[in-house]
Amino acid sequence: MTSHPAVRSRTSSVKAPGSTTASGPRSPQGGAGSSRVKSRPADRIFFGLSFGSALLIMVILAAVAIFLIVQAAPAIAANWASNPDLNSGPTGSFATFWNYVAPLIWGTLWVSAIALVLGAPVAIGIALFISHYAPRRITGILGYLIDLLAAVPSIVFGLWGIIVIRPLLLPLTDWLNHNLGFIPIFSGQASTTGSTILAGGVVLAVMILPIISSISREIFLQTPRLHEEAALALGATKWEMIRMAVLPYAKSGVVSAVLLGLGRALGETMAIALIISPSIGFYWNILTEGKNSQTIAANLALNFPISNVLQREALIGTGLMLFVISLAVNFLARWIISRSNADKSGRKKRRPKAIVEAASAVNGPALSASDSPVRATGSATTKPEGTPA
Amino acid sequence: MSARRGHHPEGNTVKFKNVAVVGAFALTATIALAGCANSSGDTGSTTKPSASATADAYKIDPSLTGTITAGGSSAQANAEAAWVAAFTSQAKGVTINYDKSQGSGGGVTNWLAGSYDFAGSDSPLNPTQVTSSASTCGADGAINLPVYLDGVAVIYNLPGVKDLKLSSEVIAKIFSLKITTWNDAAIVALNPKAKLPATAITTVTRSDGSGTTTNFTNYLSQSQPSIWTYAPSNAWPVAGSSAQQGGSGVVNTVKAGEGTIGYADHSAIGDLSSAQIQAGTSKDYVAFSAEGASTAFAKAAVATPTTVEGDLSQKLDYTKLTDKSSYPIPLISYQILCKTFKSADQAKLTKAFVGYVASDIGQKIAAKNAGAAPIPAAMLAKIAKSLADVK
Amino acid sequence: MTAISSGAARKSASKGPGPIVNSLTTGQLPKFVEFYVLAGALIVVGGVMLFLGFNLGGWLFLSALVYLIALGVLSAIAENRRRAVDRIVRSLVTIAFLLAIAPLISTLWTVASNGIGQLNWAFISQTGGAVFNPETLKVDITTGALQAIVGTLEITGIAALMSIPIGLLTSIYLVEYARPNQPIARTVTFLVDVMTGIPSIVAGLFAFSLFTLLVGPKAFSGFSASVALSVLMIPIVVRSCEEMLRLVPSDLREASFALGVSRFSTIVKVVLPTAIVGIITGITLAIARVIGETAPIFIAASFTDNFNANPFSGPMQTLPVLAYTGIKFPGQDIAASNASAWGAALLLVILVVILNIIARVIARVFAPKGAR
Repeated sequence: MTSHPAVRSRTSSVKAPGSTTASGPRSPQGGAGSSRVKSRPADRIFFGLSFGSALLIMVILAAVAIFLIVQAAPAIAANWASNPDLNSGPTGSFATFWNYVAPLIWGTLWVSAIALVLGAPVAIGIALFISHYAPRRITGILGYLIDLLAAVPSIVFGLWGIIVIRPLLLPLTDWLNHNLGFIPIFSGQASTTGSTILAGGVVLAVMILPIISSISREIFLQTPRLHEEAALALGATKWEMIRMAVLPYAKSGVVSAVLLGLGRALGETMAIALIISPSIGFYWNILTEGKNSQTIAANLALNFPISNVLQREALIGTGLMLFVISLAVNFLARWIISRSNADKSGRKKRRPKAIVEAASAVNGPALSASDSPVRATGSATTKPEGTPA
Repeated sequence: MSARRGHHPEGNTVKFKNVAVVGAFALTATIALAGCANSSGDTGSTTKPSASATADAYKIDPSLTGTITAGGSSAQANAEAAWVAAFTSQAKGVTINYDKSQGSGGGVTNWLAGSYDFAGSDSPLNPTQVTSSASTCGADGAINLPVYLDGVAVIYNLPGVKDLKLSSEVIAKIFSLKITTWNDAAIVALNPKAKLPATAITTVTRSDGSGTTTNFTNYLSQSQPSIWTYAPSNAWPVAGSSAQQGGSGVVNTVKAGEGTIGYADHSAIGDLSSAQIQAGTSKDYVAFSAEGASTAFAKAAVATPTTVEGDLSQKLDYTKLTDKSSYPIPLISYQILCKTFKSADQAKLTKAFVGYVASDIGQKIAAKNAGAAPIPAAMLAKIAKSLADVK
Repeated sequence: MTAISSGAARKSASKGPGPIVNSLTTGQLPKFVEFYVLAGALIVVGGVMLFLGFNLGGWLFLSALVYLIALGVLSAIAENRRRAVDRIVRSLVTIAFLLAIAPLISTLWTVASNGIGQLNWAFISQTGGAVFNPETLKVDITTGALQAIVGTLEITGIAALMSIPIGLLTSIYLVEYARPNQPIARTVTFLVDVMTGIPSIVAGLFAFSLFTLLVGPKAFSGFSASVALSVLMIPIVVRSCEEMLRLVPSDLREASFALGVSRFSTIVKVVLPTAIVGIITGITLAIARVIGETAPIFIAASFTDNFNANPFSGPMQTLPVLAYTGIKFPGQDIAASNASAWGAALLLVILVVILNIIARVIARVFAPKGAR
């Protein structure tokens, strides 16, 4: 690898993607510093390690995906009505694979949506509380307490759901069913044992709380102090300061946190299997015993032991669908993030327009860090960021 | 691999206890053998059972070493735990791992793939699996040996009501949601003296596929084909019940809710009340008992036609269970193994264990520790004969 | 938060001579108004519910509702709308926090109260075993969790050892080196996105099949389970570390480059320490997620009650597996099996708490002084 200083100029930054010369085009570009920065062996080794890890992950995860596709293919292609392995037992009443998996996909999305609706706002509220509202001295302890929720294994959540939450929600279930039963999700025959999607959703919400909350908290804490204090100095109330300085900065990070929580909810097996009394079908109801749409992961766990080989492959096929769901949700989220970002470089650090305008009005159109030509994560072309668009 | 694995760093406490047990056993065996000539073959004594029984008392070779990997049905899990404890306390170089989380289907699948030495299953191999077993076991095929006997209990939670009596017709109607309240005329007719409340019946069933469901739906569809129109299956066919995970889930839910009724392995119900089932159409209502289950097996188990010599798959003919000596809903669980193993040592080891399980003493151990019913002696003799051909 | 509303000046101006008005506090609600309103709401709603039928959850919920409305209205009248919104948000956020503490206390209490009876030195240091009495044919089960503790530490330890370096280095690559349009970066991001939702059984199946291919039919081992857990951990580690690294301000990197520090040193000495607290949080979350898994362990490492310290051959048991089987497949003595299951669950929680503490200590040691 040639590390000729002349090569390393600003123009070298537009080398074709995929080039793997260590530290070459990605080291500090332009400016006086380039000729002083040599590419040391440590740099090369480290880059090699990072790149190698990325490759390794790519290989591993791709292998998992390929393995699953290969396993599931026979079951997806088989004729379910006539195949003796598939027309009895848990797969017995379905004509094709897609008839089997479609209600499961619906159930997965529905239960996860309920968990998100119940859990995400609370988690973000907690994160805000710990980062901005709680007394400084006890933030560490409070954060630790919330992280403690993550320490509890899913089995315990399942058992806690059975022992505590199911009986606890029975009066609420009855009340909702009697008084608000005209709303479709509250309709149906109210459950007497509490094995409802409401109970499962509540427990799932509690399970994803610590993930969303911890990551959001870290992100909120990283908001530049300067922005916060500038807002306060201009007379904003605390909430307005958060709205102006913290939330825009943290938006994409919070979306990532919510996605991680959603990922957990989508794949959660044990708690759902223990708590909810399942059926396979397209149901809205959350208060009944017999009309709870089953999720993919719980269905897999429940029926895997009793399945013959072809049924196992069908179950793995449903697991594949879970990937598709994850993928779709992640795409949606990234699209949302990129839509709310002004520039297309995918950078996460945002500068609220009002603050930047105020700052540049005070300082003149001077340097702000975002104008620097060095990009840690973004594209090579320099884009002046934060200019009033 | 098996040679390397003979030694595991067991806890010292367990080791001491094992030594003590083996020592006690050796002492007992010596004394008993001395008295063997004097005793007539008794079958019911519990004081010196193992060695003072007749000459077909099962002998375990204490020099056996190796590992047995197995898994499958959870109905036999408690019995397996007892068998493993008893066997390994006498053959200390042997390690046995039985995976009860795989279920009957998983056990057979893993066994067909070669991961298990034997599979525990609540049903014998079906025709597809028999075909696949040719590649696992070779041309000799596999044998299904019924080693565990239990019953399906119909459990309920009705405060103030003990000794609930139910007929197969009423059970079928309740579980297919045709009878919906406890004070329905049909139930009252069978239990005139009980205080049946007007509350709704909540049926509690299995959400995971299960051999218990297979046995129960078999019974329902054979006894009441006009009411129970669903085919027997390991997945519960009726929508609208409260489906719980695992037999313990059913038991816990019935325990926690009033007005609930469910079904589970009798050995797993703890202290819940189990209904007395009408024997056929007679006037007798039978509660579960080990003798009842054994008699039911002796009367109703019919050998299914099979191509493998020594295979002892059974079908239950419920029409033969018509008096109060037999419990109407028995449950049989099998151990399935190849007739020819790839390794002769593994064959010897597995034969020794399965033989112990299917011996008189093994069945007594299961009865004592797992609530099972002993398999009748005639069947045990057949099993021993089949095992002799395993190599 | 002393927002001086413009109303204050006006009020004092229109009053003329009279008692001295403290212009700093005019136009503000008194200091502890929130507590007073809360108390009022609780009492009023409680009184109403006593007539309608008392329910603890309903009482708390309705009181909170009444409190929020009352506070908002009061503040809007006495102060101004912006402050009212601010107060309401503050209350909402506090309620959210309290809402989280309740299930936390409840779950921990459930585990602790059910499991504490089992926690004694014998339980921790002994392998679960069974003693056969040939006289009475009785098998006595002794509960012990040593095999499960060793299994958990080994399996999770190996999984963490494999996933954390790989995940961290990958996120460093994604953030520091790669451009978002590069195919490798895009593929890795795509795969990580997809894999965050993978059900754990599927990961176990993959590991088991992999090892069956490599080793042969009886491929149950602790290492196989570790591989399964790594597949589950890696997406979480990559995703959260990526977020944390992106949060490090570019200023720091640029300052470092401007001083002539190499990229490697910048990353290791500047970027990582700045992000270390967040990274440790993400890693701890990932470990906590997988340490409680049961399904992949069953599939990849089978089930056993025996003690096995060799992760490369033979089935191993872990604490969550012990808890799960105690509940789902109890022995004849259901209460004893359940008790041992809760004991295992409590041990697991304690283990993760200890890991959490260690992680925080590490974070504090490596974090730059004076940060936050």
